[in-house]
Amino acid sequence: MHMWPTSTNRRAVAAISVAGLVAVGLAACGSSAPTASSQVPLSAKQTVVFATQGLGSEGTATMSAVKAFEKLHPNITVQILSLSPTSDVAFEQLTQRFTAGSSTPDVITSDVIWPAQFAQSGWLANLVKFHPDTSAYFTGQMATGQYKGGVYAIPWFINAEGLYYRTDLIKTPPTTAAALFGDAVAAMKTDHALKEGLAFEGDKYEGAVTAFQSMGGQLTPSALTNINTPANDGVLTMMYDAIHKYHIAPTAVSTWEESQVQNAWLSGQTPFALNWPYIFALSDAKGCQPGCSAVFGKTGWVPFPNPTGAPQASLGGDDLAVNARSTHQAAAWAFIQYLSSASAQIARAVAAGDPPSVKSAYGSQLYAAAPYFQQEQAVFNAATPRPVSPVYTQISSQLQAMITSVLSGSSTPSAALSSTGPTITQLLQTVSSGG
Amino acid sequence: MTAREEPAVPAGPASLAPPEGAATAAAIGGPRRQGSYSLAARDRRFGYGLVAPAVIVLLAITAFPLVYNVWISFHNAWYLFPTTFSNFAGVKNYKELFTGGQFLPSLYRTLGFTVVSVAVELVIGLALALALNRKFRGRGIVRAAILIPWAVPTVVSGLLWKSMFDPQNGFVNYILTQLHLPLAHSTWLSQTWTSWAAILIADAWRNTPFMALLLLAGLQVIPRDVYEAAKIDGAGAIRTFRQITLPMLKPALAVALIFRTLSSFLIFDVIYAMTGGGPGNSTQVLAYLNWSSMFVQGGNYGLGAAISVALMVMSLVIAAIYVTSFRTEQVV
Repeated sequence: MHMWPTSTNRRAVAAISVAGLVAVGLAACGSSAPTASSQVPLSAKQTVVFATQGLGSEGTATMSAVKAFEKLHPNITVQILSLSPTSDVAFEQLTQRFTAGSSTPDVITSDVIWPAQFAQSGWLANLVKFHPDTSAYFTGQMATGQYKGGVYAIPWFINAEGLYYRTDLIKTPPTTAAALFGDAVAAMKTDHALKEGLAFEGDKYEGAVTAFQSMGGQLTPSALTNINTPANDGVLTMMYDAIHKYHIAPTAVSTWEESQVQNAWLSGQTPFALNWPYIFALSDAKGCQPGCSAVFGKTGWVPFPNPTGAPQASLGGDDLAVNARSTHQAAAWAFIQYLSSASAQIARAVAAGDPPSVKSAYGSQLYAAAPYFQQEQAVFNAATPRPVSPVYTQISSQLQAMITSVLSGSSTPSAALSSTGPTITQLLQTVSSGG
Repeated sequence: MTAREEPAVPAGPASLAPPEGAATAAAIGGPRRQGSYSLAARDRRFGYGLVAPAVIVLLAITAFPLVYNVWISFHNAWYLFPTTFSNFAGVKNYKELFTGGQFLPSLYRTLGFTVVSVAVELVIGLALALALNRKFRGRGIVRAAILIPWAVPTVVSGLLWKSMFDPQNGFVNYILTQLHLPLAHSTWLSQTWTSWAAILIADAWRNTPFMALLLLAGLQVIPRDVYEAAKIDGAGAIRTFRQITLPMLKPALAVALIFRTLSSFLIFDVIYAMTGGGPGNSTQVLAYLNWSSMFVQGGNYGLGAAISVALMVMSLVIAAIYVTSFRTEQVV
């Protein structure tokens, strides 16, 4: 019996283990992406990988849409790749796959602020070759998928931020910022169940930027070249005053995200709350949980009154896009067409509360199943996109710091604007000069 | 079992035994049969063969990324600009550290936090270690219990403390209100200095037990008889602590300080979970800036790599300062 292998065997063992490692290494390097010429035709049997977020009813709605699509196209199997429900983490997961040059996922769900950045990086397929009908969707959201003359993303469902108000406490929704503040102060005086007058998200994350924009902050591409304007100063001052002057918003809003605003609203402790349409499904839907009894049947929703101009509801929502390295682009496009069709969107709106991005979906069929969508349209018509820019995430990071520094009182609106302005200008110049 | 004890191993060709292998074998084991020299050499070679996969893996996952990171830091690696991607950029990324306006403030914050948090954790940790080194009933349970905060994942403890500092539903303000103490109405994470206080508390809560544990191990190796001799000589508690405990604890102190200083310097998770660097950028530290410039703010890998290199160099400098200062004092 040999405890040790013979010398020949020893060398063989060592050689095999090294060779094994090298093989693994080579295999890892060998998975380079196929070229565009190796496209799989639509009729071939194939699997399309769909990267998407969505838990609970959204996830279920996605699954039933996938099943319906597979029935229409028996040769195509759709495989779901789950992304994190946290937007920033999902963004990281996608960029890591893209930077690695992966040919999957074939179809991605993209937040409306990502397509410009992904397209600039060369990661998204230009969908112009499939002749998409860009006029079918809400204009603001369609713009989020268009970059440098190309179409890189198709709207899936729209989201816009508006002002919820308690119809039992506020008889007519305010149309000016001054009226809103007055109503909030008066409501807090008369109804002692109210802990605050206005709830909004002010934590240092994307929500602070959408709140700023929904209240009237100017973030159009031309406005970004000089953000230090009286209009932006006015909005920041209004946010500051709500907390520190009129005391209608708690100081804690500077740590609040959507969920805290949602809790404040559903528990009936605020007459006004700035939030997204999903609140309707929670507070006014047929299946209202016991937790929302304080607001059931008392929910109204309007665009937030802009102190210096027309109301603008910050546009959110999700787009659908195709990986530039995907070899299943025809099937991917068929899948996107199905998901963005009016019938599929109505089914999703009813099942999961996601508002359709395609305008033709708004009609009797939708209103019969979910009447509150009628109120939502007014807010969607005011929907204003955030800047479509490849450096948006950096601009947003600057804006988040600017807004939270004002909310915490550590800098004045004008000081915050004048220190943030040059950084944003520099970022925009970096892009236009090509790095 | 060594090869020497295994007579059944056949001798290989003589050419397999290199001269230095033979010399080593002779130096270690004295004169041997001719066959043992080549056997020892072959064993060694076989040993290299066996560790080679591990060494290659280690090189692949530590040395290569390190070198590659340095390489990236001297190149354009911003994926927004595919046409200039991996072009040589010289020291452009390093220049941007100083002109970008975020790096230096973050550095000062990081250094300030490191000094304060390590000092606080050292004082409390040492006190805990001294207490735990005494004999008392239930000492074993207390020693185990003190480690619980350290066993909680950092992000979890960060989120835990974030909810405890919540001004409306948090435990901290509740206690302060009940005890009629000041700051009961603070919105902790909305102000710069209270945010730092909250971060410091969360960090110290989790890491002080680690400090205490390391120091306790150091205390336990100090021989009893030294203390007994000091007692006979009439030394008081303070003098005993200063002249016996502290000097003899020095090796353990050095280890604890190096560990804690470096991990404080590289703090990320607590801040990520509690403030996200806010309000404004007032709690943004270097590791957070590093992560956000790479992965959040549009994937500027070149700039992120430059920050990583700067962090690495500074960490090495900190470690070197500790090592040399503790070494020279020991000689004296």
